[in-house]
Amino acid sequence: MRVLCVAEKPSISKAVAGHLSGGSFSTHNTRNKFIKNYSFDFDFGQPWGSSSVTMTCVTGHLTNVEFTNEYNNWSHPPPESLFTAPIVKNDKKDIAKNIADQAKYARLLVIWTDCDREGEHIGQEIVDAAKVGNAAIQVKRARFSNVERAHVLSAARRLVELDEKQVNAVSARIELDLRIGYAFTRFITNNLKHLGGPLADLVLSYGSCQFPTLGFVVDRYFRVKNFVPEPFWGISLTHNKEGKQVRFSWARNRLFDRMTTVLLYERCLDAKKAKVTKVQEKPTRKFKPLPLTTVELQKAATRLLRMSGQQAMTIAEGLYNKGFISYPRTETDRFDKGMNLRALVQKQTTDQRWGPFAQGLVNGGFQQPREGKHDDKAHPPIHPIAHVAPSALTYDEGRLYEYVTRRFLACCSEDAKGMATDIELQFGDEFFSTRGVIVLERNYLDVYVYENWNNTTELPKFTVGEQFEPTEAMMTEGKTSAPNYLTEADLIALMDANGIGTDATMAEHIQKIQDREYVATITRGNDAAEQGGDDEEANGAPAARGGGRGRGRGGRGRGAGGGSARGGGRGSGLKVFVPTQLGVALILGFDRMSFEMSLGKPFLRKEMELQMKAIGEGSTTRRAVLDRSIAQYKQVFLQSQEQVGVLKQACREFVFGQRPGGA
Amino acid sequence: MDLVPQLRRAILAQSLPPPSQSFLTTLTTTRSPPPPIPSLLATAKARLLASDLTNTSSSAIIDPSAPVFPTNIDAAAVKEAKLAQNIHTQVIDIENLSLSRWEQVEELEAIERGERTRGRQVIRVVAPEDGETDADGSSAAQNQASSRPAAAPSAPATTGGANAVHRLVLQDRQGKRVFAVELKRINGIGIGKTHIGEKILLKTGAFVARGTVLLTPETCTLLGGKVDAWHETWMEGRLARLKESVGADRP
Repeated sequence: MRVLCVAEKPSISKAVAGHLSGGSFSTHNTRNKFIKNYSFDFDFGQPWGSSSVTMTCVTGHLTNVEFTNEYNNWSHPPPESLFTAPIVKNDKKDIAKNIADQAKYARLLVIWTDCDREGEHIGQEIVDAAKVGNAAIQVKRARFSNVERAHVLSAARRLVELDEKQVNAVSARIELDLRIGYAFTRFITNNLKHLGGPLADLVLSYGSCQFPTLGFVVDRYFRVKNFVPEPFWGISLTHNKEGKQVRFSWARNRLFDRMTTVLLYERCLDAKKAKVTKVQEKPTRKFKPLPLTTVELQKAATRLLRMSGQQAMTIAEGLYNKGFISYPRTETDRFDKGMNLRALVQKQTTDQRWGPFAQGLVNGGFQQPREGKHDDKAHPPIHPIAHVAPSALTYDEGRLYEYVTRRFLACCSEDAKGMATDIELQFGDEFFSTRGVIVLERNYLDVYVYENWNNTTELPKFTVGEQFEPTEAMMTEGKTSAPNYLTEADLIALMDANGIGTDATMAEHIQKIQDREYVATITRGNDAAEQGGDDEEANGAPAARGGGRGRGRGGRGRGAGGGSARGGGRGSGLKVFVPTQLGVALILGFDRMSFEMSLGKPFLRKEMELQMKAIGEGSTTRRAVLDRSIAQYKQVFLQSQEQVGVLKQACREFVFGQRPGGA
Repeated sequence: MDLVPQLRRAILAQSLPPPSQSFLTTLTTTRSPPPPIPSLLATAKARLLASDLTNTSSSAIIDPSAPVFPTNIDAAAVKEAKLAQNIHTQVIDIENLSLSRWEQVEELEAIERGERTRGRQVIRVVAPEDGETDADGSSAAQNQASSRPAAAPSAPATTGGANAVHRLVLQDRQGKRVFAVELKRINGIGIGKTHIGEKILLKTGAFVARGTVLLTPETCTLLGGKVDAWHETWMEGRLARLKESVGADRP
């Protein structure tokens, strides 16, 4: 029997062919120079048994949708007709033909595309192409999440069906993106062109993810720009005992009123003596990280490795294609109980840098990773599949691989443990407290060099009921400082929390708004110092609580103890996003139109994203979603058309610097 | 005919502002036979709590001999004094001193735009039919708000945590205004919780320092109530006041 296998890209095709054939296959060229057909024999087990296999691939999506030629002109028919205009599918002819040809001789087609929504859709495209050559061909799908040999072999012997619901979800998404994107892009471009100047020859592209992403950048920009600093006051208490100096912080933290602070301060001083009301010593821990998701990988790569999200994804993709790490697009932050994690740890024991640590885990230090709340049911968290020496990788590949591996080993290790001492005082009517932490076991921190946890200065001994006259009680004064512009990690976190894009496409949207010159990046100077003004440094050890649990929180999980190891690195050369004048004009233009849902806000897109999910889960249909979303966006389109003057005015104001009313 | 003293006793037993004789007489004589004491009491309570304490006209419902602030209560030179008697007051203003004014401005502006943030998530707030936020609604609206946090555009989330410090402006029967600060956190006090016109009983022994009353749960009783018109005006003007106080009202 003959079987045709088709992968999503050449690297996977070759890797899978290599594993299935045991390394001996013959290679045939096709009309596309990137695509080879590999022939070999393989036993798929029951019911197919020993087969003669041809393995080939596509290069991502095999087809694309387009409007028919009558719609090539940007003004006629008018852009709003694109919401209902007919669309046609085109395929990459030579690749499709190769599949159709090969299918002629095969009884079974096995889809080896990546196991996610897009992969499912590409799978269907392959099926369509194959059926042109052989309408009767049977179809199966291999479910795999990395290209490690044993995993691939087992996937080949446990074939499943293609998920039609996911296929429909993607095809709905593609059609919506086409219609909405084209209609609004033409509308915006046509209308703003007349303003002349820099807008005369620009294509002002609109995308339903791009705009909300830009919206976040613009929003933060104005928060920074409009910020008004305010003074605040506090009371700080210091006491010297046993040759040690302890600083206590005020339970009220800070007050935005001087008079009230003076009043309370005076009452403290009048009380003369402070009384110890609580001394508590208890174990504390700093949690090891959660298993790695795509969003967290991108955030970490931008923050710690200074890569862009897109760079990180490209590199991760390469590492996956070479079989070094698992599939890098995953929402899952919990490992399946059945996975043999120890075996994966074992593979890392030969490494120069973390080998000894991995060996320690193998020798009994291994602990099951924490479990997050997300499971996309398709892929495990990102983890290393095989050990690879740094010499075999480029510099950036090496750094990303190192991060993935250290994170994985940290997950399989143990929380860091320490002893915390909390001391509370009453001084007059006011309460003060301090906390001392002594780190007892570093555990995962030994391998996860991206985080730190330090001892605080040692506290002198206090006992409950003890009274003393504090060495110094001072009234302090500070000033609030503006928030920072968005870093890429911040932006990814915002997109994630607001359902803009999938974790796999976020980085592309961020790149897109830069390519379109809607936003620019600037390098942030040393901001580390002013952050401290916001009273973040006092919390010596909320480490036990902080530390980025779950998604959507991680961005701030910079760990505790502001001034520690990373403080230095953070200030230098961190890229932040600011909108261009054009970017501001576009977002404010839509925000100022007085209809319910601005295109610059995440709401519409989020709803669409939820609808995609619903199709995938079978609770709605492609048709229903298309009808509903198209109607929604068309409504917004018509409203925008009515109020296009508002958009033009915003451009005059921001792009041409004309004051409102002055034109 | 001992209905009036009976009703007065019932009112005072609840620490409500002392009623005037004329108010009690009107209450007990408008209907014949008069309603039972519990329902009279409920009516009296509602009227007292919704009244303006400083109303001195002939129809005033507050006892014109009820205690007022000592004349030197706002003397900044006095380090510490204690109130010598129970005094009924009404809330004229409330501020959260633990939050920067700008933070509050940003939040109010977001609500005006129909948005609200929860962590990083931007939530679209759908206004209820009548377009009113929480100027009305009192406790019922708040209960609702907690049961469906996503959609309810009611009180801002910043009503204050365990360590929030609020400063009120309190007014006595004669219209005298003083600052009052939470020396200890009182859970019933908060922006979105405390209404303008709400009545607060300051008890004998409450500390006054440098002209500011120090509030603790032991020395004050929140009686509830509100003066609708005041509260509405206060709500409407809050954003403008906050902006003005940080100097953001000037272009």
